[in-house]
Amino acid sequence: MVELARRFVVRERRPRRTRTGVSAPVLAGLAAACIFLVIGCLSSSIFAQQTVAGLAQGVIFSSLALSLVLIYRATEVINFAQGEMAMATTYTAYQLTLWGISYWLAFFLTLGIAFVFGVVVQVAVIRPVQHSVIAVVIVTVGLFLLIDGLVTWRFGADLKFMQAPFGNAVYHVGDVTFARQDLGTLIVSIVSVLLLWALFRFTKLGLAMRAAALRPAAAALVGVRVNWMLAIGWGLAAVLGAVAGLMTEPTQFLQPTMMQAVLLYAFAAAVLGGLESPAGAVIGGLALGVFLNLVGQYVGFATSELRLPIAFAVLLGVLLLKPTGIFGHKKVQRV
Amino acid sequence: MGRKGRRILVVLSAVTLVAVASASAAFGAHRADPGITSTSISIGGTFPLTGVASLYKTIPAAEKAYFDYTNDHGGVNGRKINFTILDDAYDPSKTVPLTQQLVEQNKVFAVFGSLGTAPNLAIWSYLNTAKVPQVLIATGDSYWGFSAKKYPWTIGWQPDYPGEGKVYGKYIAQKMPNAKVGVLYQNDAYGKNYYAGLRVGLGAKKSQIVSAQSYDVTQTSLAQQILKLKSDGADTFVVFATPSPTITALVTATKVGWAPTTFINNVSANRLFLLAAAANGANVDGVISTAYTVSSTYAPQANTAGVKLATSIIAQYAPALQSSLASGDGNIIYGLGAAWTFVQALKNAGKNPTRASLMKALKSLNVVDPFTYPGIKLQTSATDNFPIEQEILIKWGGGAKGDWTPFGELYSGVR
Amino acid sequence: MKPRVPAGLPAAAIAATVLALLPFTLSGYHQGLASEVAIYFIAILGLNILTGYTGQISIGHGAFMAIGGYTTAVMSHYHHTNLILTLPLAFAFAFACGVLVGIPALRFSGVYLALATFAFAVSVPQLALKFSRFFGGSNGLQASRTVSHTWLYATSWSCAAILFAVAWLLLGGRTGRAFRAVRDSEVAAVSTGISLPIYKILSFGVSAAFAGVAGSLFVIHTNGFAQPNEFGVILSLQILIGAAVAGLGSLWGVLAGALFVGLLPNLSTSVPLIGSSHGQDVVFGLIVIAIMLLLPNGVAGLLARFARLRARA
Repeated sequence: MVELARRFVVRERRPRRTRTGVSAPVLAGLAAACIFLVIGCLSSSIFAQQTVAGLAQGVIFSSLALSLVLIYRATEVINFAQGEMAMATTYTAYQLTLWGISYWLAFFLTLGIAFVFGVVVQVAVIRPVQHSVIAVVIVTVGLFLLIDGLVTWRFGADLKFMQAPFGNAVYHVGDVTFARQDLGTLIVSIVSVLLLWALFRFTKLGLAMRAAALRPAAAALVGVRVNWMLAIGWGLAAVLGAVAGLMTEPTQFLQPTMMQAVLLYAFAAAVLGGLESPAGAVIGGLALGVFLNLVGQYVGFATSELRLPIAFAVLLGVLLLKPTGIFGHKKVQRV
Repeated sequence: MGRKGRRILVVLSAVTLVAVASASAAFGAHRADPGITSTSISIGGTFPLTGVASLYKTIPAAEKAYFDYTNDHGGVNGRKINFTILDDAYDPSKTVPLTQQLVEQNKVFAVFGSLGTAPNLAIWSYLNTAKVPQVLIATGDSYWGFSAKKYPWTIGWQPDYPGEGKVYGKYIAQKMPNAKVGVLYQNDAYGKNYYAGLRVGLGAKKSQIVSAQSYDVTQTSLAQQILKLKSDGADTFVVFATPSPTITALVTATKVGWAPTTFINNVSANRLFLLAAAANGANVDGVISTAYTVSSTYAPQANTAGVKLATSIIAQYAPALQSSLASGDGNIIYGLGAAWTFVQALKNAGKNPTRASLMKALKSLNVVDPFTYPGIKLQTSATDNFPIEQEILIKWGGGAKGDWTPFGELYSGVR
Repeated sequence: MKPRVPAGLPAAAIAATVLALLPFTLSGYHQGLASEVAIYFIAILGLNILTGYTGQISIGHGAFMAIGGYTTAVMSHYHHTNLILTLPLAFAFAFACGVLVGIPALRFSGVYLALATFAFAVSVPQLALKFSRFFGGSNGLQASRTVSHTWLYATSWSCAAILFAVAWLLLGGRTGRAFRAVRDSEVAAVSTGISLPIYKILSFGVSAAFAGVAGSLFVIHTNGFAQPNEFGVILSLQILIGAAVAGLGSLWGVLAGALFVGLLPNLSTSVPLIGSSHGQDVVFGLIVIAIMLLLPNGVAGLLARFARLRARA
């Protein structure tokens, strides 16, 4: 048994990488998957419908996975309360609309409120314990309960409804339908990824945030205010979470548990795509959504009870085989 | 022993016997069940006030309102009803200690209205062993109805889920004999029991079911299952789900371009849910369900005793529920109806009710509950442990501002 | 080496006496509450071994409780096994499952491990739904025997005492030192010849076994009824919170953690805020955050501080 155990110890592997930083085998695999999907869609109507529905389902995972990835990339922390924070900010938008503010104005106001919320949480609750991984996990778990309890206390647990950001229209291409809301969510996610990429690549703030995450001591020496960079990271992640919540509301409706299932799938999506890669989060979410739907359609044993375990089997599989995910960079493991 | 001694012994024995007999008779006569005094009766139940099932929390609120109303009108034979509502968040591991608290600490006379199948299953043997009434519980599973001999202290209220499934099955077999049925059901006992009832109702025409897909409550999208039903050729869509997934199913079916004849179960047929589905883009006209309570929004019933009573009770004793009632929250009427039944049974249990006499009254009901649909009668007997077995089919019309309209005749579900 | 006389032995002896006498003063219902505390005591003890002493985060102990709980329900329902006998069975089976989980867990650390154990916690109850004919599905599985409050009190606290002694012996000896070495510095541990895989897997196994026993008692406490909703994610979170309140890395605060997690939900419902379930979530969340910020070593840390103060005086 010791031999068996020893085989599972982490081993370093150095695959060849292309210029974009993604290894060749991974790119080849992705291309093959895309070709497979296209062929499937063209040959079978139900395959196409399930794929598109899977993409629609996956785009919800992606939007929350983006905020998970941003927090991890900026602060090396996994926030178990991300879903609840997204939910709370969605309820904030709801309250604003109840007070008579128009939907889109409420949307953007909520983003601002979410930013402040994220910063405050990081400064008040995460910063004092960020030296200890266990302590941070426990604190985010505490946040999960606290936020859930507060929202349920204030708003009650019954179903509430908001206007869908992009309306209810659907477009038909043959047998396949595309909902405007899902297309809108996808575009919003892509735009978020591009904005994040631009932030990290081209702005001084982004550079400072990357430095603060990778080499806090050295960054401090060159004048980066490391603590504030971490706080801003949380603020931005909270903004992404608010977007995710508002995009999720049309399908999950407004209830305190609305993001809990999504969070579980978002974890799997984020790990699949690579916890440090925003593009990976989007691709991971879409891939997971399509995978679940196709498996559900064609694999008889994979009934609905196994949906969540299958998503987690994907998560575990990725962690075992390629822990940095599809788009992640292999970090040298120093024992 | 001498003759005198024997005589003394006989007399002493006789005196002792008489003393013991009268003492035990007196003891028995004055020994009352816990939870009942000359001025009050204490009852309690566990409900999901928080957590996944908390949209049902208007039920205990309405029940409390009815008991408050009863208390203000002299109570039952001069006794006021104290109703304790405890939150078990739909978790059986909480239901058990909370129910033990009700029975052993609060010393309730009866457990009334506890909500949920698994929670009630968890306390089923405990309450029956302790001989505590477990009455008018808010669950549509049929176990309680069919197990009256083994668990005589338990009785439900609402029509059971398999029975309701049978109603849809009978209707489809009779009125839609060429329909191709696709079923979407929740993958737990709730959904499976409904599905089983549908198959029984269809009887020989079971083969009309061309596809049946289950879904898990942790799913964020039902499109995969609905697309499968559509691609398997179904033109009739039967949804056995809780409210939130039902709304999702209605919206998704419309969005994937499917236009089947749709049946939804009455738990999810609250007017508010249909309005929400329509607002989210679902095509809801023609959706069919069943009802067994009066409707607070259906105009022809506005002047029934039940609706008028409901409106006045809620206005006075639970004003927070008024707007929900006006929008058609059927759970409120449900709560009032169950509470009414309890009060009625308590009255029938005699001037000094005991737990046994309460059960006897509940098992010999033959009465019209004003909060149930006109024509429905609550009937129970030694062989019939299901108080309500009749339902009426209802159909939605009027789109996003519409309502349910009853049609056809009263169906009988069980057996 | 001279065996240390543990400083807490007199306190433990007093606690044992109090526990033995308590049922005579408590009502049946309150004995049930005390049993719940014992159940959490055992679970938190187990988690402490893994997370506090070996440094491996687990948010999945609810799943091991489920495994133990369903072992009891299945054996009692199908084979009418004596309930007491199901406890060592649950211990053994959960130990095996812990070892099986521990093997792939070797590849993860930190937050990845937390995620993996979280995935495990979410997936296990789903299996009870999938194989519903055997496990009872959402209708649950009912054991063939139910017990009195006093029986449960005696059994759960006896188990708690026994397992506490086991933990104390294990952690005070070579194994415990190895665990602590793994937690403090894997490099140093390896360099002194401690096999990382063996001790990590052992820690998972032992920790899971404890949780399994807690799960068995948990099902017995729920009138012998095992159902997936009883083992949701919240249960795993509660055990983690209890361990945090107790103070990771020390045995003496575990009782405080168990009292906190076991009693708070059962406080009288008439108490405002705490009384309702979501109020209780708010309080839980606030307290655990406060403890992590102000008292990072939990109650055990507090006790250690008092002990140091007394020693100085």
